[in-house]
Amino acid sequence: MIITNYMRDEHRGCDEVFVSAEKAVIDGNFEEAEKLFLEFADEILRHFKKEEESLFPTFEEISGSTEGPTRIMKFEHEQVRGLIGKMAEVVEGKDSDAYLSLAESMMILLQQHNMKEEQMLYAMCDRVIPQDVKEATLATMKEITL
Amino acid sequence: MFNQGGLSMEQAPPVMVVLRFFVTASVFGVLLGLYLMGSVGNILPLNEYAFQLTVIHLLSLGVMASFMLGALFQMLPVIAGVVINTPTIKATVVNILLIIGLFLQIFAFATSSSSLYLIASFFLGLGLLYAMSVMLKEVILIKDHSSSSRGMMFALSSFFLAIVLGIYLLLTLGGYIDGSYFKELKEVHYSFALFGWLTLLIVSISFQVVEMFYVTPKYPMLMSRYLVVTIFTLLVIKMMMIFMSLESSSANVVISSLFILYAGVTIHRLYKRKRPTSDATVWFWRLGMGFLIVSMLITLLSNIITINSQILGVAQVSFIGFALSIVFAMVYKIVPFLVWFHLSNQGYMEAPMMFDVIHPKRAKTHFWIHVGMFTSWLLSILFELDGVWLIAPSFLVMLSFGWLLYHLIMAIRKYNYTQQHTEKIEW
Repeated sequence: MIITNYMRDEHRGCDEVFVSAEKAVIDGNFEEAEKLFLEFADEILRHFKKEEESLFPTFEEISGSTEGPTRIMKFEHEQVRGLIGKMAEVVEGKDSDAYLSLAESMMILLQQHNMKEEQMLYAMCDRVIPQDVKEATLATMKEITL
Repeated sequence: MFNQGGLSMEQAPPVMVVLRFFVTASVFGVLLGLYLMGSVGNILPLNEYAFQLTVIHLLSLGVMASFMLGALFQMLPVIAGVVINTPTIKATVVNILLIIGLFLQIFAFATSSSSLYLIASFFLGLGLLYAMSVMLKEVILIKDHSSSSRGMMFALSSFFLAIVLGIYLLLTLGGYIDGSYFKELKEVHYSFALFGWLTLLIVSISFQVVEMFYVTPKYPMLMSRYLVVTIFTLLVIKMMMIFMSLESSSANVVISSLFILYAGVTIHRLYKRKRPTSDATVWFWRLGMGFLIVSMLITLLSNIITINSQILGVAQVSFIGFALSIVFAMVYKIVPFLVWFHLSNQGYMEAPMMFDVIHPKRAKTHFWIHVGMFTSWLLSILFELDGVWLIAPSFLVMLSFGWLLYHLIMAIRKYNYTQQHTEKIEW
């Protein structure tokens, strides 16, 4: 379960930063909110990059399909990227109502995405990818930067 | 099996599949308020039994089943990874049969007409059994069940049984069946409808949505994995005890205790949530779980000691409070999200944000109307108020559902307006 554990921890890390940014917006501390939101954006985009450049190609090669779950996950990554752009605009504009509204959408979108990955895709990766390949993939992912 | 649909646009049902059921439920809620108002002035020439049956079925079928079916059309793909083909046609058929069947059933209760009982059982049976066959078939075929999808399977099975028994009871009331075991079957019917279908469905869905919406710690694995199947098994044991004329209070005590435990854990999960927002939906969840504890505590005690009828009435009203609170908590998250989500994915750059569809302040106002409604009903039961004293509680029922109906209609209008009047970017 090394893939599941590593990736799940990353999801939790992103959640932590995201809710901290949301809290800062509620408190009216936009300077802190902007800093935390950018941190969240960096974390989540790096996580997506790890999946798209390392984990998904490995899984696709072994499962022999690029049309399965990874295609849907990549589509959902695009949805999240679109929202990040909009949220960056409103946090810069100090519009708390718009930020919290977009945060609501982001949370639902991201949580259902994470659940699918954690309950299905990562478990499949842990099951079908050989141990040595998994370890190599994990090492590659840890090196990836934005 | 991997969830190929999820919330991606490829297999998510059109937004109107869900909203048509929510609108129907709200309209039946307003009608319920009107009906209760009518009964205050004895405008409706009904006997007590017909009145009670009408209120119960307006609530359980018109309101609750409509909300639940709408939510299931959306959530089965998301939570259980099930794809329902041609959802618009299927939802329309189920929705229309349910509406016609329920009106016929209400007129049958009012007139005791044999033929109306027969036609009502046909329409209701056809609509609801069709819905269950579509959903249950897909859920049973899931290979790797999650806690939620497994729970949904038991909830749907409970509803299937409750519907079949409901048809039997209607045909008995119509004089088509001799009515052997009528009393026993009636108890099994409402036990599976209320605790099997309604409560187990809420429990199953909560295992994923509470964590998803509020970023809470996970439910204990023992609970998410075994609670639903345990309660379903207890309901089956209770059914057997009833038919063998054995005392079933021990099963009721365990079922009530398990629901109290679940409600306590859910409140604790919400307390431990990471998200800082404390919007109306969080309060609806807390209130709903509070109502569940009150209702189940009284039910538990009533199986051990003698409880007076007013307190038993409090348990019944609290149970309704539990179910409605959770439904409203879900609706105020689902509707704004779906409107935003579908329009965004269709490429409408000016898609209204969630707060523009239904602002949390509007949901909070509904929460207070809801609190007022249940406070007034609980007071009227505790102090045995009747006559004109029931005008205000009945009006609040109408206001509560009317408030939601208005916001659902506005959400649909915003959806349609965005589609018709704003620019779309082709992907």
